[in-house]
Amino acid sequence: MNKVLTFIDRFEENFIAIVLALMVFISFSQVIARYVFNSGWGGALELTQVLFAWLILFGMSYGIKVGSHIGVDALIRTFPKPVFRFFALFGAGVCIMYGVTLFSAEWLTVFGVESKGGAWYYFSKIYSIGIGMEDIVLPDFFPEALYGGERLPRWIAYLILPVGLVLFVLRSVQAFVAIWKGEREMIIASHEAEELLEEHQKAKEESGEAGSDIDESHTKGGSK
Amino acid sequence: MESLILFGLVFVFLFLGVPVAVSLGFASVLVIAIFSHDSVSSVALQLYTAAQNYTLLAIPFFILASSFMSTGGVARRIIRFAIAAVGHVRGGLAIASVFACMLFAALSGSSPATVVAIGSIAIAGMMQAGYTKQFAAGVVANAGTLGILIPPSIVMVVYAAATDVSVGRMFLAGVIPGLLAGFMLMAAIYVNARIKGMAKEPFAGMGEIVESAGSASWGLFLIAIILGGIYGGIFTPTEAASVAAVYAFLIAVFVYRDMGPLKDVAWCNEGESLANAAMRNAVLTLKNSLAVFYHDDTRKVMVDSAKTTLMLMFVIVNALVFAHVLTSENIPQHVTSLMLDAGFTWFTFLIAVNLILLLGGQFMEPSGLLLIVAPVVFPIAVELGVDPIHLGVIMVVNMEIGMVTPPIGLNLFVTSAITGMSMVEVIKAAMPFVCVMFIFLIMVTYIPAISTWLPTMMMGPEIITN
Repeated sequence: MNKVLTFIDRFEENFIAIVLALMVFISFSQVIARYVFNSGWGGALELTQVLFAWLILFGMSYGIKVGSHIGVDALIRTFPKPVFRFFALFGAGVCIMYGVTLFSAEWLTVFGVESKGGAWYYFSKIYSIGIGMEDIVLPDFFPEALYGGERLPRWIAYLILPVGLVLFVLRSVQAFVAIWKGEREMIIASHEAEELLEEHQKAKEESGEAGSDIDESHTKGGSK
Repeated sequence: MESLILFGLVFVFLFLGVPVAVSLGFASVLVIAIFSHDSVSSVALQLYTAAQNYTLLAIPFFILASSFMSTGGVARRIIRFAIAAVGHVRGGLAIASVFACMLFAALSGSSPATVVAIGSIAIAGMMQAGYTKQFAAGVVANAGTLGILIPPSIVMVVYAAATDVSVGRMFLAGVIPGLLAGFMLMAAIYVNARIKGMAKEPFAGMGEIVESAGSASWGLFLIAIILGGIYGGIFTPTEAASVAAVYAFLIAVFVYRDMGPLKDVAWCNEGESLANAAMRNAVLTLKNSLAVFYHDDTRKVMVDSAKTTLMLMFVIVNALVFAHVLTSENIPQHVTSLMLDAGFTWFTFLIAVNLILLLGGQFMEPSGLLLIVAPVVFPIAVELGVDPIHLGVIMVVNMEIGMVTPPIGLNLFVTSAITGMSMVEVIKAAMPFVCVMFIFLIMVTYIPAISTWLPTMMMGPEIITN
């Protein structure tokens, strides 16, 4: 089980890293192609944009997992412990509802609200219409038996919308349970630089006596 | 009514511990689902289409370039050059720290990153030379805010995307205010140093200046690529960002060797002849030309940048959904007529903008705040004859000040963490320089030429279409 979990961890990180690398590579090679070879590929921009959407929509669930989504904790931290815990759960709960509602808003009819649509609804519509991308053309050698059109079908690009939302809900439920059990404090990070500082701390510990600790170097003083 | 509920929901969610992005997104979804006849599909689709914005595509690339440039060695080289150049005046190390922050800001589009990179080295250095910890921390916390004013700047890219002004113009508009803010901080330090008789470093000599400049120039050339590329008409800003990312990667692994398989391999060993060294380096570079792509260090920088990107973009995408709901409910028009009827002139309007942003900057991530405020104030600004570029610079400067004012200033957090000082101490330490920044804000707000002169001169007068 643990092996599977590490595999999923590595997979998520590798996925977002590779998508980002592909985006840079495609954009950069377009510039080179234009200036050095005086050519280019029409689908490059569209592909980069699809990758960008995939990075964000796939990554939003990963952000919940590693707790990198920022929020304001100044107010709820002033509350007594049990109230704080309640709002920590509330935060995770709203994330779950956000994902579910965007996936499909039908459930809001429970409250007598006339709401419809959602990511799943939109995706199935695009799937059944079967239109292609604007610029991404399938290569000639692509077997016609698999897909008749000459462009990449658009639903493939949109696939990440429902998938990303499902993953987002799953991760939020996971976070909710973890907060419930007391394994996790909140769903949010209190500011965007949290990770940056953790790393800085780590680097400081690694370099150990190299004098990077400011208090220490102060007492040693003036040796420069 | 709907607009009150919309804003009310956002604030309730925000303060009760819901992530910023989800607060904005969920409030918008609820308002659409309950009050409007639009389908929720259109909101869900917005999440996808927001990423199709060509201008915003520059953000991941700038983040990546800045991560490769933050791998440690670049900050050290920049600080060395700054000390060689200005260290010998009174208060020299503090002035050099400001200078180093300005240079680093030209490589990175983020303020906290600038504070961590420069602060972790410069503060210790200043204390060794006999400066007080408070003074050192105050200097770096404030100078670090220049990260979002001096181009390239992620916040400016977001503003350009939100209001359809040109990114190139915004970047140019940041140059003179950035230099001005830097010089104002330096002047404040110099006056302070004169009064208190602070230390000065011995003049290191022209040789050291040239040598350290040479060593830092590989990194600093990045800004030449970005600005030169955009204004020379060679790249679009998005392309320039992708070229910058690739350039930063190559410099970090092959030239500076701060990371990757060649880490800590010297360019020239002691006693090695020049020809030998050249041969050895050529072979090493070739041998590792593939390994650099899948080395653990490279993977780590890629994962970190991707993480930063998606954290930021998730906020931006949801803020765009929010802005979409705002405009579809005609809220900006209502606010515009409300403010015009109340007799606002451009002068009082800019005060109001400053206040909203200073307050909002306490609680919101800068890019998210900008995307919420810009659609509302932009039409009013155009109506009152405020230049869009000028408005953008005012907004960025406000974000800067928001980062160094209590209770929730991001740079204060970061400075407190890297120095081990308490928040209260850091706030006190930063205060005198925050006053300088406030004077700077007033100057930028009421002298439009500071921001608009350079872009108008370089790119001609702009055409405002709205």
